[in-house]
Order: sequence, then structure tokens, then C-alpha cells
Amino acid sequence: MKCHDLDRLLYPYLDGELVAEERVDLEQHFSSCDACAKQVQAERTALAVIRTAANNGSPRAPESLKRNLLAGIHGEQRRLRQARMLRWSAAAASVAICAVAANYQWRSFQRRLFIEDVTARYARQFPLEIQQRSPRELEAWFGGKLKHRVTVPRIMNATAAGARLLNVRENQAAFIRYDTQRPGEVAPRPMGLFVYQAPEDDVGPLKDAEFGSGNGFNVVSWRDGDVVYRLVSDLDESDVRQLLPATGATVVQPASLQR
Amino acid sequence: MGSRQTNAMKVEFEQMAAPWFDGLYASALRLTRNERDAEDLVQDAVMRAYRFFDKFERGTNFRAWLFKILTNTFINKYRRSVKERTLSDPSERDSVNAQFFSQDATDAAQNPEDLLLDRAMSDDVLKAIDGLAIDFRMVLILADLQEFSYKEIADILDVPVGTVMSRLFRGRKALQKALLDRPKGTLEQPISLEEFRARKNLG
Repeated sequence: MKCHDLDRLLYPYLDGELVAEERVDLEQHFSSCDACAKQVQAERTALAVIRTAANNGSPRAPESLKRNLLAGIHGEQRRLRQARMLRWSAAAASVAICAVAANYQWRSFQRRLFIEDVTARYARQFPLEIQQRSPRELEAWFGGKLKHRVTVPRIMNATAAGARLLNVRENQAAFIRYDTQRPGEVAPRPMGLFVYQAPEDDVGPLKDAEFGSGNGFNVVSWRDGDVVYRLVSDLDESDVRQLLPATGATVVQPASLQR
Repeated sequence: MGSRQTNAMKVEFEQMAAPWFDGLYASALRLTRNERDAEDLVQDAVMRAYRFFDKFERGTNFRAWLFKILTNTFINKYRRSVKERTLSDPSERDSVNAQFFSQDATDAAQNPEDLLLDRAMSDDVLKAIDGLAIDFRMVLILADLQEFSYKEIADILDVPVGTVMSRLFRGRKALQKALLDRPKGTLEQPISLEEFRARKNLG
């Protein structure tokens, strides 16, 4: 230990950072060197003055800051929890979207199957069980034969030619044949109406009547309560639309809704 | 990004951090040199600490960890805006044994005992600390205000212990010099309002 080492060792010594041997070595030097001993004492005092002054002069954190810090932690905790929940619900939402999409696919697939089935049955021209009757008589004939009540819609420019029972995809159905006599045409054009209950056949109400086609026929479909109506014909969609003007309900009307 | 903070962790963090709010604020005040920025800095640092609390290794030095986040937040956010010049003294990059204790710094305060005679006032000391270059100031705050060990300071600032020692030496010497050089008369007690009026009337 030499006097010129003091600069290097002074603060580590005062800060208690020297290992025991270094410290002992330094203190031995102080006992024999007045100048160094004096300097270290002065530095010790100066350091104490500065530390005390700095600490005494430092304000405590304002109470408002402390409150904000705790509130911030609380808010952060809530935010993190919400972020977690958000991630969860995002995952749940995508599952739900998939489910909705799958359900939508399934429903449109089901509708497709019903359209295929009614058009295929219409094409086979099954013989009618009862012929040339008024809608009211037909309704009476269906009475009790099916689980659901059958109302025979009155269709503009068309007369009910007859009716029978048949199945539409394992569901008991009423079939009513109409002949439509359109202005300017000599021969009447036939139409067939299928009336059945099938929860999985998801069509909208009459005002949202749905157009589709299968097996070379056009189909217009609607629902009244839990009863589905599908009208099959070889009329163009535009001709059928003439039977069903934009406002809907007036032309094709289930008998039950008519006075 | 830590995000597994449970309610129990929140309570634990509050209990561990709350005792250091005063120290964090006192240090932030010396770093930013104004109260508003100091409050913002502490707020930022504590929120960051909380967000990363699940990364904190239990059983290690929580206070040093908090102050590391405080100084990092300051360096990343405030220092850039304050545009403080970094210490780029080539002597500091040399080894510890190099002549980093520059002679002029040593000469600057040959009579540190003079400080006693002045009974350095707290305001003067704090003002003098605030006048130090940021790298010296950070070490001095951690060593003399927070009384961290050299090793802890080295960890907090991510510098070698030798760098801590040289910055502390030079920072303390510069501080002594600033205090000894400060304009005399700052210690004069402000006179009372009555006394001031009395003097004014006499004049």
C-alpha cells in the first residue's frame, strides 16, 4: 500500500467494499501516514454530510402518487384479466363462428335435400286420391289424416285439381295439385304443392319466399308456423314471381289466413 | 409479456413494492429533475415491474430489480427526450487499473472538509447532484441516496463493477467541487416579510 493507491481504495474503503485483507492493509497505512489518515477522515465526513443532506432533502413520494400507483396496479390487474378474458372470448367466438358456419352449411344442405326430394316426387306424377274439389273440401279430406292441419292456399289464376298423401323425406305430407290457367295460354299448366312438418327444413315465411330448383323444376318455398309449403312447377321463376308479387302475402295465401 | 398475474400475485407485489415508493420517487426526482416527470417515471416503472412481476425470480433482490426497471425506463423513455449526453470518456473504457481517476478531478476538491464549514444545505447538495452528467448522477443516486452496493449498482446499470467505481469516484469529486464552488450567500437566511418592509420603508 502506497499513498498513491489511496484514490483507488478510498471510496471502496469508505463504502465498505474492501475485503478484509485490503482493509487491514489500508488501516495499517493510515496508522503510519498522517496525510492519508487526514484525507480519509475528511472524505468520510464529506460523504456523510452529502448523504445526510441528500437524504434529508429528498421528499417522500406524494400521497396522491402512492394512491395512483396502487390504483394503477389494481387497474393493470383488471386490464390483464380482461385481456385474458378477451383472448378467451376471441377463441370462443371463433368456435362459435365455426359452429354458426357449420350450422348454416347444414341447414342449406338440408334445404337442398328437401328440394331434391319434392321435385323428384313431383316428377313421378303420383295419382291423386281425390280430384276436382274446392280448397275447403280438400282441407276437410285431409282432416285427421296428418299430424298437422292442412290449409289449402288459394293461388291466383289457379284451381285445385286434387290431392293425395305422400312422404317427403320420411315426413308425412299433403300434396295438392293445381292447374294454372294463365292469360293467352290454351292448356293449363300444372303445379304441385307439398305441405309438411319438418323442423330441419328451414325456410322463411311467405314474405321471404325462397326460390330454388331441382330435377328441372322450380320450387318456391315458405313456412307458416311450423308447416312448410313447397310449390313445384315448371314455370319460370319470373312467372312464379308474377303469382307472388313483391309484396308477397296477397296472392298465395294459406287458407287459414283468409277470411 | 407477463399476463398470469393472479390476485394473490397482485397483493404480493403491492406488499413488496409499496415500501420502496418513497425511494423510487426520490431517485426519479434526481433523474428527471422535476416533479411531474418524476411521478410519471415512477408510475411507468412500477407498472412495468408489475407487468413483468412473473419474471421476477423469487428470493433475489427485489429492491435492486425495481431500481433496474426504474433506471431502464428512464434511459429508454426520458433520457431520449431530455437529450442528455452520454458519457463517452475513452478512459472509462480502459481497464480498472488505468488512470481513470483523473488528476484534475482529484485536485478539484482537495479540501473536502471545507464542506463541513459550509454545513452544506440539502437544497445545495440536491442541486449539485442534479448538475452532474447523467452517468455519474445515476451511480451517485444509487450509491449515496439508495445505498446500494457496487455489485448491485453494476447489476442495475448493466456495467462492470470497475465502471461503477470510476463513475462514483468522479461523480463524488465533481459533486464536492460543485458544492465548494457554489456561489456564496445561498446560505443566507431569507428575511421575513416584516423585516423586508421595514428595510424598504427605511430606504
